[in-house]
Amino acid sequence: MTETLPLALSLLYQLGATAAFLFLAAVGLIIILGMMNIINLAHGELMMMGAYVATITHHAGLPFPVSVVLSFFFVAAFGAVLELLIVRRFYGQELGALVVTWGISLVLGQGTLLFFGPFMPSIKIPGGSFSYGVFSYSEYSLILMLVCFLLVVGLWIIYSRTTYGLQARATMQNAEMAKSLGVPTGRVYTLTFSFGAGLAGLSGALLAPTATIAPFMGQQFVAPAFITVVVGGATSVIGGAVGSSVLLAAVKTPIGMALGAFSGSVALLVAALIIIRIMPNGISAQLQNYLDRRSQGRQR
Amino acid sequence: MRSALQLLAGDADIGRTRLFWIGLAIAIVLFFLYPTQASAFRASNVAFYLLNVPLGLGMALLWGYCGVLSFGHVAYFGIAGYLYGIIAGNMSGNSLGPIAGVLGGLAGCALVAAIFGYFVFYARVQKWIIPILTLVLTLLLETFLGQTAGYQWRVGSVLLGGYNGMTGIPWFQLGGFVFEGYSFYYLCLVLVVGCYFGLRILVNSRFGQVTIAIREDELRTELLGYDIRARQLAIFVLSAMLAGLSGLLYVQWGNYITPSQVGLLQAALPVVWTAVGGRTSLLAVVISTLILNWLTYTLSSQGNQYAMVIIGALLVVTMMFFPRGIVVMLAEAIGRRMPQRAPAKS
Repeated sequence: MTETLPLALSLLYQLGATAAFLFLAAVGLIIILGMMNIINLAHGELMMMGAYVATITHHAGLPFPVSVVLSFFFVAAFGAVLELLIVRRFYGQELGALVVTWGISLVLGQGTLLFFGPFMPSIKIPGGSFSYGVFSYSEYSLILMLVCFLLVVGLWIIYSRTTYGLQARATMQNAEMAKSLGVPTGRVYTLTFSFGAGLAGLSGALLAPTATIAPFMGQQFVAPAFITVVVGGATSVIGGAVGSSVLLAAVKTPIGMALGAFSGSVALLVAALIIIRIMPNGISAQLQNYLDRRSQGRQR
Repeated sequence: MRSALQLLAGDADIGRTRLFWIGLAIAIVLFFLYPTQASAFRASNVAFYLLNVPLGLGMALLWGYCGVLSFGHVAYFGIAGYLYGIIAGNMSGNSLGPIAGVLGGLAGCALVAAIFGYFVFYARVQKWIIPILTLVLTLLLETFLGQTAGYQWRVGSVLLGGYNGMTGIPWFQLGGFVFEGYSFYYLCLVLVVGCYFGLRILVNSRFGQVTIAIREDELRTELLGYDIRARQLAIFVLSAMLAGLSGLLYVQWGNYITPSQVGLLQAALPVVWTAVGGRTSLLAVVISTLILNWLTYTLSSQGNQYAMVIIGALLVVTMMFFPRGIVVMLAEAIGRRMPQRAPAKS
C-alpha cells in the first residue's frame, strides 16, 4: 500500500504536465479565435519564432527567463505588423483567414529554413529533477504548470478587470455596437492579435528547452494546439482552454503511458471527434449553457 | 430530360462561348499530340503535372462548390498510394494485382472519408473546424507512416519503410499491357479530361445545383427539404476519392511514396492551386494546377530553395488581392472585352 501515493502523485504529475503542454500550445490560438473569430494557422510558426528568439538571446548570454519575456514582445510586435498588413482584410471570412494565415506559415517556415539553416543548438532544460518513491519529477515541468496557472489568472484579470478587456469583450460580442459606442475596434483587433501572437511566442520560448529547435518545429504543436481549440470551442475563451486541456490530458496521459506517444496522439484526435459529435460548439459552450441556466434558476 | 451535353454547357463553370469550346478542344488535341514532339523525360514531367489535377479538382469541388474546406486532402492521396503499393506489391506477378490495388485504394479512401465525414458533418460543426481536423488527420498519418521503419512494419511482402517510404511499387497494368512512359502519359491525360468533363456535368446537374445552394445558404437549403448533411458527406467522399486517384497515379508514376507526401507542405499545395486558380471554377483549377506544378518543378529543379516561399507568398497575395482566384478573374476580364454574348441558356 505504500506505493499507492507515489503512483497517484506521478499520474497527477503526468496529467498536469500534459495539460500544461496542451494549454501552452493552444493559448495564443484560442485568444485570437475567441476574440476575433480568426483561425491563425501560422500559430505553429509564431511559436517557432518565439523559440528561436529565446534560443538566440539565451545563447547570446541572457538568462532564460529574460529571453522568454523578450520573445513575448518580439513575436507580439511581429503579430501587430501581420495584423495591420494582412489579417485585417479577412475579418468576417473564416475560411479566407485560414488560408491566408497558412500562406504566411509557409513563408515563415521556409524563410526560417533558408535564413537559419536546418538546426539550432538547443537549450538545456533549466532546473534539475528530484524523485519521490520510484518516480522522478522534472522541476521545469512543475514550473511550466505554475506558469500556466499564472497565465490563467493573468488572462482572467486582463479580460475582466481592465479597460482593454472590457473593450475586447464588447467587440467580440457585437463589433458594430461597440464601434458606435466609441470603442476603437480596429485598435482592439490589432492589440488582440498581437497579444495572441505574443502568447504563442511565449509558449514557444517556454517549450523550447523540451523541443528540437528547427524551422518546422511549429508543426509538432499544430495538431495538439488545434485539437485543444476545437474541443474547447470559442464561447468562453479561458474556460474552454483550461477545460479542454485538462480533459484531453486525461484522455492522452493514460493511453500514451500504456501504448506509446503515437497512440496518445491518435487518442487525442478520436476524443476530439467524439467530443464535437456530442457538443459541436465545444466545452466552453456547454459550460456557458450550464452557467446561464444556473444563474437563471437563481433569479427565479 | 436534359442531355449530358446541355449539362456540360451549364453555367457552373467559366467558359460557355463557342470560341471557348474551340479553344478547349485545341488545347486537348495539343496535349494529345505533345508526346510525339517531346522526349520521354519531358512527357513524364507533364504526366506528373497532369496526375495532380484530380486532387485539385477534388479540392475545387469541395471548397468552391460545396463551401467545405479540407486541409488534409493529401491524406487520401497517401492512403490510396500506400494501399495500392501494399495490394499490388503483394500480388506482384499477377496481372490483376494493379487493378485490385486501384480498387482497394479508392475503397480505402472512401471508407476513411466516410467515417471522418460522418463525425464532422452529422455533428454540424462550425465551418472552421473541418479544415483543422482534416489537417490533424493528415499530420497524424504522416507521424504514423514515419515511424514504420524496420522489418516488423510490413504487410505481406511489402515494407512500409518509415521516412524512406515504400519503394518498388508496380506500374499500372490492364491485362498484359503495362502503362509506363508515353502510355502512362496518355492514361493520365484521359483520366484528367474524363474527370473534368464528368465533374462539369455533375456540378451542372440537379445534385450540383443543390450542392451550390448548400454553399450559398445551408439553412435555406435545408428548409427547402434537402438533407444537407448527406450531400456534404457525399461530396466529401467523392473529393477524397479524386485525391485518392491522384495518389494512385502518383505511385504508378514514380513507383515510390514517402510519408512527406502527406506532410504539412504537401497538404498546402492543393489549397494553393485551388485558391490561385479560383475555387468556383473547375477549369481554372485545372489550369492553375498545371501551371503551379510546372512552376514548382522548374524552380526546385534549378536548385531554387525559394520555391515554397514563393508558393506561400503567392497564396497570401492571391487571397489579399485576387480573392476569387487569378485565373477566374483573368477569364472574367477577357470575357468583358469579348463582343459576343454567351449562347442562350436552356
